[in-house]
Amino acid sequence: MTEERTSTSADAGAAAESSAWSSKPEVDRKRPRSAPSLGLRGTLLFLWRQLTSMQTALILLMLLAIAAVPGSLYPQRSVNPTLTEQFLEENGRWGEILDTLGFFDVFSSTWFSAIYLLLFISLIGCIVPRVGVHLRQLRARPPRTPSRLTRFTGYTRIELGRSGDRGADAPTVADDLIERARRSLRRSRYRTEIREEKGARSVSAERGLLRESGNLTFHIALVGVLICIAGGQLTSYRGQITVIEGDGFANSLTQYDSFESGAWFDETEMPDFRFTLEDFRATYVQPGEGGSVGEPRSFEADVEVSTPGQAQLSKTVQVNKPLHVKGASMYLLGNGYAPAVTVTDPEGNVVAEGPVITVPMGDTGYTSQLVIKAPDARPEQTAVVGFFLPTGTIDEQGPHSLYPDSLDPQLAVTVHQGDLGMDSGIPQNAYEVDLSTLTPVVEEDGAPVLVRLYPGQEFALPDGTTLSFDGLRRYAAFDIAHNPFEHWILLSALVAVGGLILSLFVPRRRVWVRVRETADGTVLEVAGLARSDDPALEDDVRALASSLTEAQDGTSDDPHDPDQERPARATQHSSEGSAQ
Amino acid sequence: MINEQLAEISNLALVVTIVLYVLALIGFGADLASSSQRRSDARLAAQEHQGEGRTLQTATVAADGGGAVAGGGAAIAVDGGGAPPADAPGHGPGTGTSGAVAPARPASGGMSAQRFAFLLTAAATVLHVVGVLTRALATQRVPWANMYEFATTSSAAVMLAFLVFSIKRVELRALGSFVVGPVLLVLLLAQTFWIVPAANLTPSLQNSHWIYIHIGVAIIATSLSILGAVVAGMQLLQARHERALAELTSAGQEHPEHWGRFGHVLDRLPTSTVLEALSFRIHSVAFVCWTFTLIFGAIWAREAWGRFWGWDPKEVWTFIIWVIYASYLHARATGGFRGNRAAGLALAGFVAVVFNYTIVNTVINGLHSYSGL
Ligand code: HEM
Repeated sequence: MTEERTSTSADAGAAAESSAWSSKPEVDRKRPRSAPSLGLRGTLLFLWRQLTSMQTALILLMLLAIAAVPGSLYPQRSVNPTLTEQFLEENGRWGEILDTLGFFDVFSSTWFSAIYLLLFISLIGCIVPRVGVHLRQLRARPPRTPSRLTRFTGYTRIELGRSGDRGADAPTVADDLIERARRSLRRSRYRTEIREEKGARSVSAERGLLRESGNLTFHIALVGVLICIAGGQLTSYRGQITVIEGDGFANSLTQYDSFESGAWFDETEMPDFRFTLEDFRATYVQPGEGGSVGEPRSFEADVEVSTPGQAQLSKTVQVNKPLHVKGASMYLLGNGYAPAVTVTDPEGNVVAEGPVITVPMGDTGYTSQLVIKAPDARPEQTAVVGFFLPTGTIDEQGPHSLYPDSLDPQLAVTVHQGDLGMDSGIPQNAYEVDLSTLTPVVEEDGAPVLVRLYPGQEFALPDGTTLSFDGLRRYAAFDIAHNPFEHWILLSALVAVGGLILSLFVPRRRVWVRVRETADGTVLEVAGLARSDDPALEDDVRALASSLTEAQDGTSDDPHDPDQERPARATQHSSEGSAQ
Repeated sequence: MINEQLAEISNLALVVTIVLYVLALIGFGADLASSSQRRSDARLAAQEHQGEGRTLQTATVAADGGGAVAGGGAAIAVDGGGAPPADAPGHGPGTGTSGAVAPARPASGGMSAQRFAFLLTAAATVLHVVGVLTRALATQRVPWANMYEFATTSSAAVMLAFLVFSIKRVELRALGSFVVGPVLLVLLLAQTFWIVPAANLTPSLQNSHWIYIHIGVAIIATSLSILGAVVAGMQLLQARHERALAELTSAGQEHPEHWGRFGHVLDRLPTSTVLEALSFRIHSVAFVCWTFTLIFGAIWAREAWGRFWGWDPKEVWTFIIWVIYASYLHARATGGFRGNRAAGLALAGFVAVVFNYTIVNTVINGLHSYSGL
């Protein structure tokens, strides 16, 4: 593409130019900004050039960074739906405006998508021509040695005296130097080419093409990352389950509390596995230990897993230690208490029985909300509402728990009767109940009966309803998820960093050595050109020059008078280093 | 189990470290002041030498080696002030620390303010590292599980990096105040606002080697961002200063003055071109580290939360940091954005780093709630 051609043709005089790409914007600027006379094709071409220019890429990158900011300042629906609703409620009209603009779904909003899609189109438009240019460059020989080297980095000129009489066909000093220069550069992994010139010979050497290879690899791998992420979006699934100690789970859609999957997800591919939750253990910071009391120390869930064709396995799932089975992974993400409660209605029928999942309210003490719905209770439907407290107390703040472990477990609930509204056909949240249509069971004085129950106790309400607290179990909440593209995303990302490292740290440079035989002796010229940030080039060039002449002193069979013969020696480098 | 005694020692070490940094900062400040004093004395002297001219002008990097037959001339501009190389190795051990607040001019045989400050800095850094290590021993885990520990550890990394760079390159020591200053600020913030008692890890941080890898790399990345921002900031100041001096020179002033004392300080520092190159080196390593932080964080998130990316505020801001530094690298390769504007982007990246560390940790609520506050 234009930019590459510009820069290669400018090479001969590109001493001041550090990057092949830097010339592009200048070229852009010279081109007329508006191109109406070009017709449709011309206009499209013009737009395409604009889109794939470095400046556009830069602006799109900056826009991407800015566009991501609101995604962290406003609650996001996909991350935290409850907070989002709360924000919307509190902010009324302003919230609605923000919502229409997509501020609560930033990362799937049209504007955010537009930015990154444009960026990636620009990226592809940028890479494709560069790949062609680069492949050609990889096969090309190092370019011609510039005729005047004086303007280049580290330019060093050394005059070597006549080295006595050699046989007419003995290799000249010049040949010797050129050959040694070539070998030395080869050793430092330059590609070299010996050029015959008018009255001189030169070595043209180049290294660091890997820099551009790395850069291209990096950008291509980024496209790979994006494609794999998109693939993952389409094919992955994720669901939440809650399992009480002693209960089992078999992987099928109906078993999930909630489930979401990509458009191309195929239900039949869900792996067939089942497990029972044998035991769930949690430990907390106790008084006297370091850290704040009640903070969790460990969560462990023992499961017995069976997959088709394999013996049953005992595993312990922990935070950071998910269970991996073929085709799915299971993560321990939550836990809570499931007190076993039996409710008997005034007619003496058991209308609810067994462990109920309670929802922790988020305090350190694990105060948990409990809702039991008994639609079959007679004469009226019944709901038990209140709290489970692992280490309970009731004070002016109401019932709450002081410590997350079940040191003094108890229930603090009220009983309500009326129409639970479960026949309306609207799906209900099992953990919530609408109390507005219900009336509490009251004492003689009219105050609602507050039932406080300890394990093993039973409580009879004035209306004849009885509650009993039969025992306590824990439950664990797991996420089960699978993304078939995960490994590909990781692979592309790692390839990208590999390319990045090459493209940032491999110096790309050219080095030339020219030897000219003159009447007074041999003139050696050495210079280099950095095509990237390359602070070591100067030293390396000078080191090469001095190692060449030093070696010349050492090997030449005919020592000459140093005073006269080598008047000007460039900086003396003690290091014998070769050009790196 | 927490070893409370070691935890105490760690706290004490860090408090003393702060005191030492304060003294070092005073030393560096005195050095800058005195050198600018020397500098203007020298200038006056030079002005009296009418005609001999530009002896003291800052040497600039010869852009292309200028066809020098004998030219080894392209060196970093150093110390135009002609002050004796007070840091020369042979300069004998200081004769006592009597000049705690260093004298403006090193008494012959005494210790220069800079050398004094540098030694203090080295001692403080050692103590700083001791503080971090004892915290690690006291808790028997890595010392980076909450904001306080992350701050103390990464500032120790900054100081170590600075020491490593400036032991060999003496001219970088002049940057001392600009490194010790921010580090001191971080430590003070940590010690006053973020400090929490030594404690065990929360379950979300246990059982994972990613705590070593991901956070370890993040600490390196953060430290490099801090260093990079210092250099980029100096580069911007230096560029302005140089432009102003050039204008004054072309307006016919023989010994242009700009920004008074601070200008003299800048005269002693490397040129903006050199600083720009250094800033680029630091930022490219920083960018690679941020890339790894991002990737390793994603791997860990997948192990811990079952998804590798979820636009959690911390993830969002790390992404923003990464994109800003990517645009910095692009800007350097784009005509019209090189130099100052690119440096501006580097600083924007640093602002994002700071935001990610302070506001995101304490105000915005997300899954990464390990600030310990
Ligand atoms: C997803 C968006 C992109 C990201 C994250 C990205 C990132 C990067 C990074 C980190 C570098 C520095 C590595 C190096 O210097 O070699 C870089 C370099 C480069 N990028 Fe991109 N890039 C993106 C899009 C683009 C686009 C759209 C273009 C073309 C218009 C482009 C052209 C280049 C070029 C030419 C370089 C080499 C610059 C140099 O000579 O230093 N990039 N990119």
